Amino acid sequence: MRRLLPILSLSLLLPLSAHGAEPLAVSVLVPITGFLALEGTAQRNGAILALDNPPDGVSVTYQVADTATSPEVAVTALQRALDRENPVAIAAPIFGTQMLAMAPLAARAGVPLVTVSGTASITEQGHDVVFRFFPTDAVVKVAQARYAVEELGARRPALLYQTTAYGQSGREHLVRALKGLDVTPVLEEAIDPGLKDLVPALERARAAGADSLLLQLHSGPTALAVRQAHGIGLGLPIVAGSAMHQPTTAALVEPVQLEGVCAETASSPVSEGNTDVAAFTKAYRARFAAEPDAFALGQYDGMRMVLAAVADGARTPEAVRQWLATRRHRGLAMAYVSDGSGNMAHDAVIVCYDGKVGVPAIMKRYDAVDGVK
Amino acid sequence: MIEAAAQLAVNAVALGAIYALVALGFVLVIGAVGAVNFAHGELAMLGGMAAVGVAVLLPNDLPVPGLVVLPAVLATMALAGLLLAAVAYAPLRRAPPTSVFIATIAVGLIIQHGVTAFIGPEPRIGPPLVGSGMLRIAGIGLAHQQLATIATAGVLIAGVHVLLQRTRFGRRLRAAAQDPEMARSIGIPVPATVAVSFALAAALAGAAGLLLSNQYLVTPTDGGMLMLKAYIAAVIGGWGRIWGAAIGAVAIAVFETLVAAATSYLVAETLLYLGVLVLLAVRPQGLFGEAEGRRA
Repeated sequence: MRRLLPILSLSLLLPLSAHGAEPLAVSVLVPITGFLALEGTAQRNGAILALDNPPDGVSVTYQVADTATSPEVAVTALQRALDRENPVAIAAPIFGTQMLAMAPLAARAGVPLVTVSGTASITEQGHDVVFRFFPTDAVVKVAQARYAVEELGARRPALLYQTTAYGQSGREHLVRALKGLDVTPVLEEAIDPGLKDLVPALERARAAGADSLLLQLHSGPTALAVRQAHGIGLGLPIVAGSAMHQPTTAALVEPVQLEGVCAETASSPVSEGNTDVAAFTKAYRARFAAEPDAFALGQYDGMRMVLAAVADGARTPEAVRQWLATRRHRGLAMAYVSDGSGNMAHDAVIVCYDGKVGVPAIMKRYDAVDGVK
Repeated sequence: MIEAAAQLAVNAVALGAIYALVALGFVLVIGAVGAVNFAHGELAMLGGMAAVGVAVLLPNDLPVPGLVVLPAVLATMALAGLLLAAVAYAPLRRAPPTSVFIATIAVGLIIQHGVTAFIGPEPRIGPPLVGSGMLRIAGIGLAHQQLATIATAGVLIAGVHVLLQRTRFGRRLRAAAQDPEMARSIGIPVPATVAVSFALAAALAGAAGLLLSNQYLVTPTDGGMLMLKAYIAAVIGGWGRIWGAAIGAVAIAVFETLVAAATSYLVAETLLYLGVLVLLAVRPQGLFGEAEGRRA
């Protein structure tokens, strides 16, 4: 029930400050049901935490709507929000397909969409209202490949990737980054998200003589791959996609099974010693009884930048959009600045598990990977 | 090499045994009401989630937590099956079969979204049936969990066989499925028999969910995949053929695992569904013939 209460209460209009100017509206349109519910819930939580604690003098209201798994539902939610709430900005879905459908409508209305979606094409359509607060595959996959090759000495990696758009995009960037490092995978295997037994692929990696395993899988399949690799005694170092940094994924794997497992991500709030990030993590746990991940922190930082724009006098969607497009913002995870297309995040980190505890340590930071500083 | 092949084979049979439990329940409902229960995959998922919930209440040092949880999961899911029959079948029993399967689609979505809202969207891990470890036979190591999964599923399948073939209830159930009007005329309480079929099917689905939840995790969106496996198993085995569906389910898992190990998952899936298309063209009644002519 404690999980349902926030969802039920989110349909209420919440005035957050009684003082200051007329409250401005922000809409939170994210998938909190369906196959991206885990990531969408983190997005929602990060956005709410930011909006619940605006800077002094800023007053905002917000409403949350579930975009589920289809573009139609997302577009309908956006249209309703534009008609009824007149928002200055929108926390928009992590699901790239929904973002692609929503962007033209948001562009016509001139309302910025603030997202953590990793789908590369959402910032390549020429809409100047999309702002992405999570590094694209062009950033994190380079970090993943470089760590495997330069730090772990991988020369014959096997690559397991999801058949979804997320997996295909990650595979493409990983292979490109590996090629730049003069490395070619000895095995590339596409994995359906519903697949439960990954042992055949792991055995094929072993038979191919792989010296490391690179994963580009969603949360559940990542946990299955790590558990089953340990179960068959594969004994290869694993550098996984961002799903492996999520506390919910780590909770599915015994600490001993995580030994030698690393992951790329934008940030890892539970691993950071930084005081401000620790305060965010504490507040997140207290509010949602859950562990924050990089998606939550990215969305939090995005909404904090919107609030900073409002605090600086931006009181219309166009003013907020202009502020996001031209200013630099120091967030908790990193510094954000647009590359001219709305890509705001340009840093990545590699976290690794020590096999003793389920919380990873930050092993290496890769700043300004795409050259944007 | 031999050890890897043996482990793959055991994995395949374990997964197939789980799919067989799902398929058995799926076909039981087809037999009882002549309509597909599209919520069946979600019932399996719900059973896995129930196992996760019950396991939390147990002491940490139990040697066989999954086996301890199993009766509670069976009972809980049997109640869920009765509820499903009351909501999605009883009010529609005089309506065309399409009404029933639309109703079960609705119930399935309610279960999926209800689990997401109340429990959370993240994957969960259920209790292990037995302690971890390997059994070594002729120098080949086989995981205790997989062997326990096969054994537990085998006992449950054998139990269903005895129930259906050797008991008065089983005879009534089969009679009601084959000819409801005739069964009613000789005093068999058809509505109650149908309700018990739903309960039994849901209990089997719940057991499958429990068996799946430790080795393969359980997520709120798992229902669709399990439903698809059961549906294909029923088509392969013969629509309405209980044992045909069980054999079909094991065949699917073994085929997918072994072909994927030799080639890739994409090749395995493609060949599987090509095989299904060929089967439908050459022998549309399935490998073991069609027991029930009413398809929905």
